[in-house]
Amino acid sequence: MSRSGEEVWKNSTEKINSELFTLTYGSVVAQLCSDYNNNYNLVNKQLDSMGYNIGIRLIEEFLAKTGAARCHTMKETAEIILKVGFKMFLNITPQVDNWSLDNRQFSLILNENPLADFVELPSDAKDLWYSQILCGVLRGALHMVQLDVSVWFVKDVLKGDDITELKLKLNKILKDEVPAGED
Amino acid sequence: MKVYAIYILNKAGGLIYQNDINPGLNKLSANDYLVLAGTIHGVHAIASKLKPTEFEPSSKPFGGEKEIPIESSATFSSSISVRDSTINNDVVNGRWNNPNTNNTGLRSIETDLFNVYVFQSLTGIKFILITSPNPIVHNVASLNLKINKGELNRQFDLAKEIFHNIYVTYSDYVMKDPFYSLEMPIKNNLFDSKIRELAK
Amino acid sequence: MASYYFTIIGTLDRPLYELEFASFKNPTAQGVPGKSQFSASVKEILPFIANSSLDVVEDAQWNSNQFHLGKIDAFFGLQVNGYITQGNIKFLLCYETPTNANLALHAKQDDTTLKQFFNEVNDLYVKCLLNPFYSVNDAITSPDFDLRVKLIVRKYL
Repeated sequence: MSRSGEEVWKNSTEKINSELFTLTYGSVVAQLCSDYNNNYNLVNKQLDSMGYNIGIRLIEEFLAKTGAARCHTMKETAEIILKVGFKMFLNITPQVDNWSLDNRQFSLILNENPLADFVELPSDAKDLWYSQILCGVLRGALHMVQLDVSVWFVKDVLKGDDITELKLKLNKILKDEVPAGED
Repeated sequence: MKVYAIYILNKAGGLIYQNDINPGLNKLSANDYLVLAGTIHGVHAIASKLKPTEFEPSSKPFGGEKEIPIESSATFSSSISVRDSTINNDVVNGRWNNPNTNNTGLRSIETDLFNVYVFQSLTGIKFILITSPNPIVHNVASLNLKINKGELNRQFDLAKEIFHNIYVTYSDYVMKDPFYSLEMPIKNNLFDSKIRELAK
Repeated sequence: MASYYFTIIGTLDRPLYELEFASFKNPTAQGVPGKSQFSASVKEILPFIANSSLDVVEDAQWNSNQFHLGKIDAFFGLQVNGYITQGNIKFLLCYETPTNANLALHAKQDDTTLKQFFNEVNDLYVKCLLNPFYSVNDAITSPDFDLRVKLIVRKYL
């Protein structure tokens, strides 16, 4: 099904050692925790805005390499994010679930999380969402294609939950920002 | 086809990158380039609102284009495509598409001396290519050849391919430059040299 | 059923982790399997014995190209085996001198089993080190690490 993400992953994604990646992200989070004196809410916020800055840039690579067109439903958006986006950048394919009745909100379930290998949270880090950066990336990337969304974590295996789950909710479509000339 | 110059416009129509990759085009003043960029941006936006009322959904891009003379023998094509809902299925199922989303705006200006092609990404960045004129058009005029539409579109398809490569390069070398701020002029030697390689 | 005392000593000679246990093999009538049977007076001085052999480890590391240094010290009827990691962290295992009856068995067990034991603990330690929230010379408090060490203990000793 997800051959395209697979293709991009195989042929035109620069690979780096995954442990190097995991350790780099880990030291960023650990450093933020110590810089903010373990104020985990601030750390989450900081990770989220770092992710946002990545997302608004990463979307160009995504579009350039896949040529994905504008999605017309959130179902389509979800499909593209899961099967193409996550696949091509992280080589994972999360599951989608828990659609809200109005089809504006859904859950992303990460069966594996390359950011969190080796990680054991400190016992006082109840408020820390370790992989919060993903929320920021999704928010940033979708903002650049004129979708205003909220993304947040609800469950994380690092905290002892059975799954890692994040929620994505469409707030509104930024119609004024849609570039002229599309359709 | 020779690509004389490549311009990149930000969402607001400001000229953020300019590269005269092949010699052959005379220079304008710095201000003129900004005006040119802004004008193309504006015409593109207005052209996208212009559509025939008897528009038929079945017409394909570049199929039923209308021509508006701007100057001698210049054509101005603005065509409407019906978005194919299979495009994203293709993406999911492994077919790559061209990231150009300029469907209803100004796509090209063709003159005796040069052609201008306008491409746009989903995020609203415009890539403008200035190329040598389409030789086939002139051959048709002089030799009275009968050619099919595919021939006429060939230069556009070539330009579209170049746009695709530029866009990938842009996403790699500009977007991943940590010191680049979005929407600002691009001053990046690495990007310059990659673009020059592309044009060869 | 021999009793063991295992400790990890950091580069600043501070203990990072310690565990007292007894072998699960050859259970005898007295005592619960796995529970160490050091006498109270020995218990008290176990950390001192471990620390006092650090000097020997420092010397021994230059005489061997192995991480497993083998039996390096004996004190008060207790044997001390040492292992030094690439990062200069020392693993020490103290245990009672075996009785004559199973001395031969024990000698054979020593090198291969203990080496495997240390190697696996080292793997665990490296994993622990990969945790971004752990820094070198921090005490190892992870319950997961503790559990896994105990599993290795069960497997080899």
